[in-house]
Amino acid sequence: MSHHIEGSRNSCALHGALQVFEAIEGTVPVIHSTSGCGVQHYLGGTRLSGGNDPFGSPPVSSTNIREKHVVFGGGSRLREQLKNSVKVVQGDLYAIVTGCSIEMVGDDVPAMAKEGVDQDWPVIYTNTPGFRGDVHQGYQLALRALIEQLPGLRTESVAVQAGQVNILGVIPNQDPFWRGNLQEVARLLEAIGLFPNLLLGDGQDVNSWHQVPGAALNLVLSHWGEQSARLLEERYGTPSISLDGLPVGTAFAALLLQVTEKLGLDPERTNGVIAREEVRLRQQFARLADIYYRTGFQREFALVGESALVVGIGEFLGKNLGLLPRTLVITDNPPESVQKSLAARLGSIVPGFDTKILFSEDRSEIADVVRTGKAGIVLGSSLEEDVAQDLGVPFLAVSFPLFNRIILERGYAGYGGAAALLEDVGSVILADSLIHSV
Amino acid sequence: MSPLRSKAPRSREKRLDTLGAWLGPVSVAAKEFAATEVFQRIRTFAQSSSDDLLYALRILTGIKESVTIIHGPRGCVAAGLYHIAAGSETRWIVTNLDERDTIMGADRKLRTAVKALYQRYRPQVAFIVANPVVAINNDDIQSVVEELQEELDLLIVPIYVTGFSSQNAVSGYDTALHALLKYLSGTTTVTEKSGAVNLLSVAEHPLDRKEAQALLEALGIELNILPDDSTVESFKSAPAARFSIPLCPDAPEYLGLILKEKYGVPFVDAPRPVGLEGTGRWLKAIGAALDVADGAEELHSRKTAETLQQLGDFSLAGTTVYLSLSSANAFSLIPFIEEFGGVIAGITVTHLDRLHVRSLNELASQNPDLQIHVADGQEFEVISILRRLSPDLYLGDSTHVGQVARLGIPTVSLESIGIVGYGGVLRLARRIKSALANRSFGDTLSRVIPPYRESWYNRSDNWHIKQEVK
Repeated sequence: MSHHIEGSRNSCALHGALQVFEAIEGTVPVIHSTSGCGVQHYLGGTRLSGGNDPFGSPPVSSTNIREKHVVFGGGSRLREQLKNSVKVVQGDLYAIVTGCSIEMVGDDVPAMAKEGVDQDWPVIYTNTPGFRGDVHQGYQLALRALIEQLPGLRTESVAVQAGQVNILGVIPNQDPFWRGNLQEVARLLEAIGLFPNLLLGDGQDVNSWHQVPGAALNLVLSHWGEQSARLLEERYGTPSISLDGLPVGTAFAALLLQVTEKLGLDPERTNGVIAREEVRLRQQFARLADIYYRTGFQREFALVGESALVVGIGEFLGKNLGLLPRTLVITDNPPESVQKSLAARLGSIVPGFDTKILFSEDRSEIADVVRTGKAGIVLGSSLEEDVAQDLGVPFLAVSFPLFNRIILERGYAGYGGAAALLEDVGSVILADSLIHSV
Repeated sequence: MSPLRSKAPRSREKRLDTLGAWLGPVSVAAKEFAATEVFQRIRTFAQSSSDDLLYALRILTGIKESVTIIHGPRGCVAAGLYHIAAGSETRWIVTNLDERDTIMGADRKLRTAVKALYQRYRPQVAFIVANPVVAINNDDIQSVVEELQEELDLLIVPIYVTGFSSQNAVSGYDTALHALLKYLSGTTTVTEKSGAVNLLSVAEHPLDRKEAQALLEALGIELNILPDDSTVESFKSAPAARFSIPLCPDAPEYLGLILKEKYGVPFVDAPRPVGLEGTGRWLKAIGAALDVADGAEELHSRKTAETLQQLGDFSLAGTTVYLSLSSANAFSLIPFIEEFGGVIAGITVTHLDRLHVRSLNELASQNPDLQIHVADGQEFEVISILRRLSPDLYLGDSTHVGQVARLGIPTVSLESIGIVGYGGVLRLARRIKSALANRSFGDTLSRVIPPYRESWYNRSDNWHIKQEVK
């Protein structure tokens, strides 16, 4: 049973689905709900993810249902809105998403979407009331709708390159670094001869989604992409590789090798890529060494974020950078079975070191555990900045929501991400050491 | 019967004939409001816009030592993060209703949440905010309020917004203020008056509130400010005040009305203190009501001289300006633009109602053909209008300034600058000067095309706005 939450950072299913559709070029989300749902998404989501605002405004189509529709049903209002959305807004795909009120009223949304398709409009739908889940369920529902309904809209066959890899599990804006992370994953996969299909972000459009069935592999970068990968395996037999976390730095080498083996690629080429990247990372470590020792870089850390981020950044800081994981908080509510395996993995980042692990999205509960555990640096969302201040330690904003950081291309995945993380963590520690030296 | 007996006030459209969709010359708008019945309009294509829930939250964020519990599904609290980012110290809680709760009711969850927050924070007051889900399934908030109020000895204020019963978000201010007065300000008229005067500051930018406060304090007026930056005590003291002064004739209207009707606090009828002329008129009205006319006049002439000197050669001569703002800001900025030689190309206001009749009539007599557009959040309409009018400057305070700016028109966002008073004039002038002096960002932005079809631009801007069939 659900429980009350303070300062929730996971919003609702409707907002999660919007985050997906807004990240696909040419896709027009059509909200069937009360007028405020889109503005809540804009104020409490889009505006707090560091400059990720594709439309420059709240969502461009919404039925804004009124009392009349709550009483008598909103089907005719949706029919009218859909027809006019096609007339007013340019789009290759119109994606209907629903809010709580309309689900309680019981509108037949699939029938309305079908009416649209019968008129030759590219329409899909997904039922996304907030009472059925958070952003992560919304992401899954949007992907399910795309996977299940797009093939019915395809008029001609889509050519797909051999060696195409779909990237799943990265939730736009819920991971404020999603663009940069995807770009880095793409760079490294291309380097070993593959064709990544990022699906979300710049240059990714409805056609990218039409290519999904022809991929050689689905690469799943968080638990939240697994459902889609299973669906694709059932429908198209596509194999997948699933990761618990975003591979940062050397962890990416293991992934490249795994992909190479799975797809029978040239191991020499892959080893060459890894060697080149490793040399670069080592040189960066070497250049940082003076600051590292001078500023007392090595310290305990608290890290708060989505599971993929906590695994990725936590392991890089612990296994590569010599920091000690004091408190790790996972905020994305993974199911219990996943929590168990995550806890086991995260508890042994630095063998013998006692790491406190909490699964929570409640702001005050998170603040309490970070405060009690203490740490020499706090990495988390802007909601954790207060605790870092209370503890008198440096703070780095790495997860949603971000109040005072702009993220356009930065990412923490891969080798490029490792360098970015060294810069960012290093900068806050360095700045802090200057304050304490006078 | 007390105006506070009901759970919530009547919506703005029922009380003041508020329109949220309209387009045409001001003279025609003035005629519509001169008639006894104003017909509601609806959109057959719409974009997201604020609702009463969001506007109620905006009020609650200003009340100190409070917790806000949204009794609803999890997404209804999303904007709370935005308010935290903006510096709100309120604790934002959602009861996180799941599917079963929407059918079976969830007053037990609400009880648990109130008790837990009481234990943790010992707040002065707890707000329970309704939303579409509990408005539809009729969850019994009231009995939880009454029960726990007694059990915990805690002030609990239920705010019955719905998200769908009014087309105009501004109704949410009224609903929140209705509840705050009802539960915090006592039940009777206060005969023993304090020396203080209520400054009604509703959802204002902190700079605006501080500017007004400084001006009034310079006149020796002791202030009780509410609901922005206030406490439970501010509401308790409000009925004993000598007068209420609005910082805007629109948003605080209901608050002033009830303070007058129920508690007998006279309401000073004053315009919004924006622009030199507007600020002067505001001070003059206050001076007359509070018997500080000489001081007010002296203050205005001194500040005006100082401001003009600091403005130097600031001029808008020959510049055509489009305003897309909250109604009160738009109407009050027109004289400001004209004072400096600018020409109003057209205006978009969030809503239009009987409170604006005076402004509307004034405009209609001076410039009958000026186009007025009524819309909250409908940027597709604004973009089409702007393409037609192609003004030299756009001033807006909406959430879609970033899209409008793609037209390449120099743009100033008023969302985060205070525009009230003499300081406001200087800040706004500085922003306008910068926008006109360097257009390079907008030039680059204008290569990003807005997502609308050419065929939409070629149609009339209101083909989709219809008179509501009752």
